[in-house]
Amino acid sequence: MPTENQTKEKTVLEARGITKRFPGCCANEQINFAIKQGEVHAILGENGAGKTTLMNILFGLYQPDEGELFFNGEKVDFKSPLDAIEKGIGMVHQKRKLVQAHSVIENIMLGHPNSGKILNFKRVKKEVSELCEQYGFKLDLDAKVWQLSEGQKQSVEIIKALYRGAKVLILDEPTSALSPPETRNLLDSIMSMVESGLAVVPFITHKLPIVLEISHHVTVLRNGRVTAKFATAGATEKSLAKSMVGREVIIKLDKVEVERGKPVLEVNNLSAYNEKDHLALSGVSFTIHEGEIFGIAGVSGNGQEELADVLAGLRKAASGTILLDGNDITHDSTLERWRKGVGYVPAERNEVGTICDYSLIENVAMNYYFEEEYVPRGIINYKSLRQLTESLIAEYNVATPGPDVKAKALSGGNLQKLILARVLSKKPRLIIVNLPTQGLDVGAIEFVQNKLLQAKKDKAAILLISGEIEEALSLSDWVAPIYEGKFMDIIPWTDAERDNVGAMMAGMKPKVESL
Amino acid sequence: MKIGEHELKLIKRVDLPWWNAMIISIISVIVALILFSLVFVHSGVNPLTGFKEIFQFAFLNRNGLPLTINRSIFIFLCTCAFIIPYRAGLWNIGMAGQLYAGALGAFGVMYLFGAKGDPNLYIAPGIGIPLMMIGAMFAGGAIGGIAGFLRGRFNVNEIVTTMMLNSIGFWFISYMVKEGGPFMNPVGRSESFDLPLSVRAPLVFGTPFTIIVALLLAILLYWVFAKTRIGYKIKSYGLNPLAAKYSGINPQVIPVLVFVLGGMIAGLAAYHYFGAMPGVFKIARNYAEFGDLSFYGIICGLIAQGNPLAAIPVSLLFGGLTNGGRFAQGKLQMGFGVDYALLGVMMITMVVLQFFYRYKIVWIKPEKEISDVGIIR
Repeated sequence: MPTENQTKEKTVLEARGITKRFPGCCANEQINFAIKQGEVHAILGENGAGKTTLMNILFGLYQPDEGELFFNGEKVDFKSPLDAIEKGIGMVHQKRKLVQAHSVIENIMLGHPNSGKILNFKRVKKEVSELCEQYGFKLDLDAKVWQLSEGQKQSVEIIKALYRGAKVLILDEPTSALSPPETRNLLDSIMSMVESGLAVVPFITHKLPIVLEISHHVTVLRNGRVTAKFATAGATEKSLAKSMVGREVIIKLDKVEVERGKPVLEVNNLSAYNEKDHLALSGVSFTIHEGEIFGIAGVSGNGQEELADVLAGLRKAASGTILLDGNDITHDSTLERWRKGVGYVPAERNEVGTICDYSLIENVAMNYYFEEEYVPRGIINYKSLRQLTESLIAEYNVATPGPDVKAKALSGGNLQKLILARVLSKKPRLIIVNLPTQGLDVGAIEFVQNKLLQAKKDKAAILLISGEIEEALSLSDWVAPIYEGKFMDIIPWTDAERDNVGAMMAGMKPKVESL
Repeated sequence: MKIGEHELKLIKRVDLPWWNAMIISIISVIVALILFSLVFVHSGVNPLTGFKEIFQFAFLNRNGLPLTINRSIFIFLCTCAFIIPYRAGLWNIGMAGQLYAGALGAFGVMYLFGAKGDPNLYIAPGIGIPLMMIGAMFAGGAIGGIAGFLRGRFNVNEIVTTMMLNSIGFWFISYMVKEGGPFMNPVGRSESFDLPLSVRAPLVFGTPFTIIVALLLAILLYWVFAKTRIGYKIKSYGLNPLAAKYSGINPQVIPVLVFVLGGMIAGLAAYHYFGAMPGVFKIARNYAEFGDLSFYGIICGLIAQGNPLAAIPVSLLFGGLTNGGRFAQGKLQMGFGVDYALLGVMMITMVVLQFFYRYKIVWIKPEKEISDVGIIR
């Protein structure tokens, strides 16, 4: 709640009547908000609500068609991000923008106005480590960036922005790639930044509890407009979700009980290497039956991506076997696996799951081009594919002007719906879903999770890879925390506890209760 | 930029309708011609006279037009040899090497028939001509396939391998046709033996029948990319190899396939020039010049944006300009290289104006109403 003291504090960044139009739509319409010193002001919104556009305007990547920005009461006109940085706006993108092969300190110096003159590593190091200490970041400044975890990389970007003199720090989905302990550390760091007078603006699609915990104010966007402004003290998860989506959202899912059927996937002692030829997955074994969801909870980079790739045939197994309905598919090609009933929803929706320059019809064809029904004698029947695409769009509520639109025009949530629609429409026996709700808004998450539960009722076996404990626990019948390529344990959902699973995701040994 | 109360603004394009691409290409040709007038002025020639000579000879003259068409067929086939790998996101810089291989393949077939030194040998044209074409395509495809295989299996950069294969092709063809080579012409020097009269290609309205092959090929390729599974796989791999792999397309097979097909068509270009052109019918002494000419397939393919139908007018233009440029140079007594200079200027303007494939200029009127500016919408 804003206290007497806070209201007196200076407004650092203010937007008045920001409007940005894109061909055919209005991404931002008359947006007003103000951020004060020493305040966390979260911007909340579904995918496609206009968050990214607004963020890009604040950072000078886009220029608004109408409206004005004020920085410390002075009107500013950011022609490029450089102008914004010079004024004191720091931005931490969701996609990391670091040089992998360079050390932390080199990355921090890169682009700093003084770094071109004399490279005084010693001084920079001293100043940077003071910053780290002040805000509670634990970083090895000489480590190469590729050696760091996602959370550490994000810290590097935050420090970089602070070292550049940021007064306002914009964070895009700051907690989406972090493990629970890392999230905790980040929130603590944000608190200490705020205490020293910085303004922090996190842009968040979901994770409402975090919004409630750290922010003083929340501005909610929907369809490019501000639909609500809260002082966080008076808000609840439900009220936030409602103003984001425009209707009531069920936050907790009911467990769907399905009778356990035959085993569909049997994985025995499976190992795989990653791109750097390190053993990323070492000897996992598990079985998934019909109507079961097997949840793998882990921080990304612990071997779950390799597991998904090996099961889908995109990566060779170093050892071990994979049985699908009792048949060995360890050496089958990707195409043979699709044909035999493996369906894969990858985590990288834009890079792997879709072809952005293809229309939605052609994207749906990615799973149908090998079906005689749609491609008789090698000639694609676009008419029947169009019908299929239209029916999938309708069934899965994909928001699009039509099936001929290119996939790059779709927002993340709609793209995910399209991929899910395409994969599930083939009625696969085994469905591998990697981070199915990452970056999605509350409404889309609900939709995706319900579709998975529907597939479970239809007797599919589902391998759910998730970075979020809540999701893994609420959907799965079995939960396997993964750490450094190994399952720490395989727990039936009835015995899975949040804290215990979270600890195992971070590498703690399972608690042995009786022995 | 502000002009009075109006403002001109650059905006990123969301998509590019084909007619816009066409208009931009036409504008870039006009800009190139305007710039090239400077060359004429510098040489003391009235630019209008100069261009009149070029275009008249290239497209209206009774002697010039057939030359233009023959050359355009050649360039068109080279363009197709470039386009197929290009649609798979791969760069075929090896048309020259595939061309030399194709020439040797075609003449190798005749050599096996014992045609060397016997221009009167009778080979049934219905057998000899198709066999020559198959030989040319086989040899071109084999050379192309090497680059494709190395790319698919070992991820070796195809630009490097095709360039190196060009060099191998160049010296190999020299060995084969120059003094003492197996295909050497017993009479002439530095060229191959003549084709027997019986297998010289039939003409259709005074043009080699390969024009029909080329036109059919354009339609066939267009259809393959628009409607077929194999075209879909190639395009998917080209647009996003990771997504293609994910959807079950074999990432080792596609590069081999497109390079074999591209090489086959480059082989066909060799057959067209050395086996079907009236007045040639041998691996002519200036084969290296045609190796160089084959590189225009790259620029034509890029201008046509990988569309085989659009490649037809583009190849015709380039064929005409090389032909007319060479003629005008002689007639107006200009320095060497008018044709190359003209094509060079045109390439630059076409590439520069491709900027408008990605951006467009719009007028912003004071009342903030956005209206597109005519052509570059």
